[in-house]
Amino acid sequence: MNPATTNTAMQEFWQNLRAAPRRIYETAFRSGKPVTDRTRSSFVFGNLFLHLHSVRTHLWSLRWSTTMGLGIASTAAFLITLVTGILLMFYYKPYPDVAYDSIKDIHFVVPTGRFMRNIHRWAANVMVVTVILHMARAFYTAAYRRPREFNWLIGLGLLITTLGLSFTGYLLPWDQLAYWAITIGANIAQSPREVTDAVGITEYFDPGGLQRLLLLGSDEVGSESLIRFYLLHVMILPLVLAALMGVHFWRIRKDGGLAKPEDADARLSGRERDTYPVFTEQPAKTYQLAAIVRGKTEVVNRGPENTVPSMPHLFYAELAVLMLTMLVCLALALVSDAPLKDIANPNIPENPAKAPWYFLGLQELVSFSAFMGGIGIPTIVIIGLGLIPYLDRERTGTGVWFGGPGGWKLVRQAVAYGLGACLAVEALVIRFGWLREWFPNVPQLIVTLINPATLITLLYGAYSVWLVKRYQSARAGALGLFTCFLCGFLVLTIIGTWFRGPNWVFYWSPSDWPRH
Amino acid sequence: MKKNKYLLLASSLGVFVLLAVAAVQENFLKDWRKIQATAKTEEGPVAVQLRQVINRGLNLSDRCTSCHVSMGPGEQNAAGPGVLTAHKPVVHDPAEYGCTVCHGGQGHATEKDDAHGDVHFWPEPMIPVRLSYAGCGTCHIALNAPGRDGFRRARGAYERLDCAACHSMDGRGGLLRPDGGGMEGGDLSRTGISGYDREWYGKHLRQSQQAARGPWKTSFAPITQADLELLATFLDTRVGAPKLVEAKSVFLSSGCLGCHKTGAIGGDDGPELSLAGLKDPALMDFTHVPGKESVENWFTEHFRSPSGTVTGSLMPALHVPPEEMELLNFYLFSLRRRDVPVSFAPKDRVRALQFGEREFATDGATIYGAFCSGCHGADGKGFRSPGMPAFPSISNPDLLELVSDEFLIETIRKGRPGRRMPGWDRDGGLRQPEILAVVGYLRQMSGVQARPQPAPTQALPGASAAGSRIYASACAGCHGPKGEGAAGPSLNNKVFLSIATNAFLMETIGRGRRGTTMEGFRTPSPARQALSDNEIASVVSFIRSWEGSKP
Repeated sequence: MNPATTNTAMQEFWQNLRAAPRRIYETAFRSGKPVTDRTRSSFVFGNLFLHLHSVRTHLWSLRWSTTMGLGIASTAAFLITLVTGILLMFYYKPYPDVAYDSIKDIHFVVPTGRFMRNIHRWAANVMVVTVILHMARAFYTAAYRRPREFNWLIGLGLLITTLGLSFTGYLLPWDQLAYWAITIGANIAQSPREVTDAVGITEYFDPGGLQRLLLLGSDEVGSESLIRFYLLHVMILPLVLAALMGVHFWRIRKDGGLAKPEDADARLSGRERDTYPVFTEQPAKTYQLAAIVRGKTEVVNRGPENTVPSMPHLFYAELAVLMLTMLVCLALALVSDAPLKDIANPNIPENPAKAPWYFLGLQELVSFSAFMGGIGIPTIVIIGLGLIPYLDRERTGTGVWFGGPGGWKLVRQAVAYGLGACLAVEALVIRFGWLREWFPNVPQLIVTLINPATLITLLYGAYSVWLVKRYQSARAGALGLFTCFLCGFLVLTIIGTWFRGPNWVFYWSPSDWPRH
Repeated sequence: MKKNKYLLLASSLGVFVLLAVAAVQENFLKDWRKIQATAKTEEGPVAVQLRQVINRGLNLSDRCTSCHVSMGPGEQNAAGPGVLTAHKPVVHDPAEYGCTVCHGGQGHATEKDDAHGDVHFWPEPMIPVRLSYAGCGTCHIALNAPGRDGFRRARGAYERLDCAACHSMDGRGGLLRPDGGGMEGGDLSRTGISGYDREWYGKHLRQSQQAARGPWKTSFAPITQADLELLATFLDTRVGAPKLVEAKSVFLSSGCLGCHKTGAIGGDDGPELSLAGLKDPALMDFTHVPGKESVENWFTEHFRSPSGTVTGSLMPALHVPPEEMELLNFYLFSLRRRDVPVSFAPKDRVRALQFGEREFATDGATIYGAFCSGCHGADGKGFRSPGMPAFPSISNPDLLELVSDEFLIETIRKGRPGRRMPGWDRDGGLRQPEILAVVGYLRQMSGVQARPQPAPTQALPGASAAGSRIYASACAGCHGPKGEGAAGPSLNNKVFLSIATNAFLMETIGRGRRGTTMEGFRTPSPARQALSDNEIASVVSFIRSWEGSKP
């Protein structure tokens, strides 16, 4: 080998070594800086984590009033709980009593442990709130309509999984709060017994007992329940949630992005825009894979007008929502510690023992009838929610807040009716009692069928039917019913949270509670 | 679209600021960090880090030493502000045994309020520092403790005989005196645990006789047998926790065990007290308790007015001076026995729990004080408490003269079913020798011996209208129309009827009981005529007629 070649090879080696950092960057981000339309596009579709997004985003979707960022906020809250949750798993030990000690250690000794636990707790609560609000947003903008019907169902699954995650996390600290909240939850699971007892078939057919057993893994809340809840909380439910989220996001993309009104482009026109036309003529074909896919997808025959590159416009918005959510969680975590009461003690029941706040509305109903409040009405509500997109197949008002016949005026009335009906029934029950107080010997089945919970449901249902007739529109009925149920949820949750004391008696203020 | 960009900037900056705040809180603002920064040793400042005492045997990890640095292992010489003061010398070095085992509080915590347990959700706040020695009760059981008076007499003998001239005890005494008296004798603080030479008196006496001058000559003199016994009692109570023993002696004179159990011994009427020192203030009702919401205040108020703090309480109020109130409080705080591994169980505990040794001295006075005086009074005269039936006088000479020892023994053994007097011949009750000791104490206290009664001269007539009539007019007012008792004791009690002899009943009715409202019916009073022996016999037979019927 002659020296000259060696020399060149060495030179090349040095050059390559010096170029290595630059090359690593270039090979990681192959499309180069996202400055042109082309590189901005490839920035999105060339990235595993971003390619669920469309390369261009419609301006309508970017308006804050369209989504208020609630879906991204839910996702952000989930990511925050995921990260903090994994950190907490390093110290948490899922065994009774030891669990409590490990939370104490996290609180007092683990560096930033208390902060992480607070963030985890607050992000979980934020997630429940944003998921519910996100559902309300999707409903009120009629975003569940064709072709997004099934995504609405996925969303419903996400809501239930979120509540399940929050509820299973509740037991883990193994304190009095956790223990008795889960005991309440388990008793709700057992509530079909109210009916089987009344009919006298519990001995042979006991779905309630089975549900409770499946939930707790034993007759009492104990180590079996704790390991069960832990596994659900850290593995099974997060995986389910992640899978559902994947489908949920993917479907948004497949369904043509967020729901927009038919005249979205017209509504946006005339406003000053920093977009420019991509095509000068109406395109005649799809720019997706429509060439090989049968049927018609959402973007066929539509030009990318009124769209902007997702990078950076959409990502600024999404990241802003993520950071805002983080800001809220951090701020709450700094000012308010996650609760930790005495160590769980099966001999000293909490009175009142309360479920997590988002179940207190249900607990209020359970106090009227365990079966109706715990199983009957939630089932009706979930089935009702699931059926909405299949019953309302109208087209008017899609993508517009409170769109559809009746509109905002109807919703206002429904708010008044929903709050009024629920408050009136509650006031009646709190002041005068119910069947059991009036006729002590009334059979349990009658109370199960006729109680404040079913009465409220009936009032709401009747109102909704009346709306369908009045407006000749299923959407109008749905608007009324959904609004009513939101109001009922609100009223019942507030009463359950702040106005129920020992033995679930009504008190204006906790300072009026009897002391022992 | 610029808006979102600025929003992202602003929210990111906000998150950054909050993280910075959290970081400052975590790294600079923790109290224990500030305290440790002020600590100094001869080698310079101490390393600022979380400190803890770990004792695997007792299953504790106490972080108290993060602030109380000089109480931690190997840190005894750290000096600085008050919180850094070293623990005073104790048998159980906190660097080894940890803190919470004696003091309570929350060992896991690293912040003052949490650690001291002054927070809402920590069930076991620290024992007030004044009462710290109550913490011994976590593991120890002071055995053979005498009642208050016995204890004071014994301690008095020790003081009077000036043993402290030479001997030190609990940090007092044993110093040479200016006048040349005294010398350094052994430390007697823990003679109750370590034991001591039972031949000490003979040895002391010999030394004293052989000495020509000096402390042996001037400071020691022969001691009477009675005083020797008192000294023995006193030395047996020396377990290194003088105040705890004194508190226990007060407890044992307050009659609490008549209704409450500690260590599975005592009455059943009141709640178990074995774990009273672990009471959770969050579960207590402070509505009628003045001052701070502390367990201590609650106990004090409860002693003063039992039914004021616990609705429907049947406990009579305690009328004791404030210093005894504090000692009772002290003793209750010491009732906090924890499970400890066998290797940590002290001898006294093994003797009490495994070998069934008594926690209290088994002389009549102590047992009477502990079990009987709560209802019958320290002097046996009984008392009345508002809202409760009268507690009968049992030291009444008329009673003690009429009843035999067997009557008293049977009464104590079987009690009065249906009344508050429980039977003591049962698990958790008293043993036969102890009951005999109580009867002996009653006799000794009152100075009255039983005088055998001649059998009644009259044969009892059958149940007659006359007996019933006389009972209704003369007796039913106090004893109830059916003998169920009202202001006076119940007469239809089966156990009572089975123990009481006819002679006893006849004589009691005839003579009455001085000092009570029960008058003698053989003598006339302004309100009625005297009853003849025949009439009394008919009343007795009427009372007897309940024997077969309901209790």
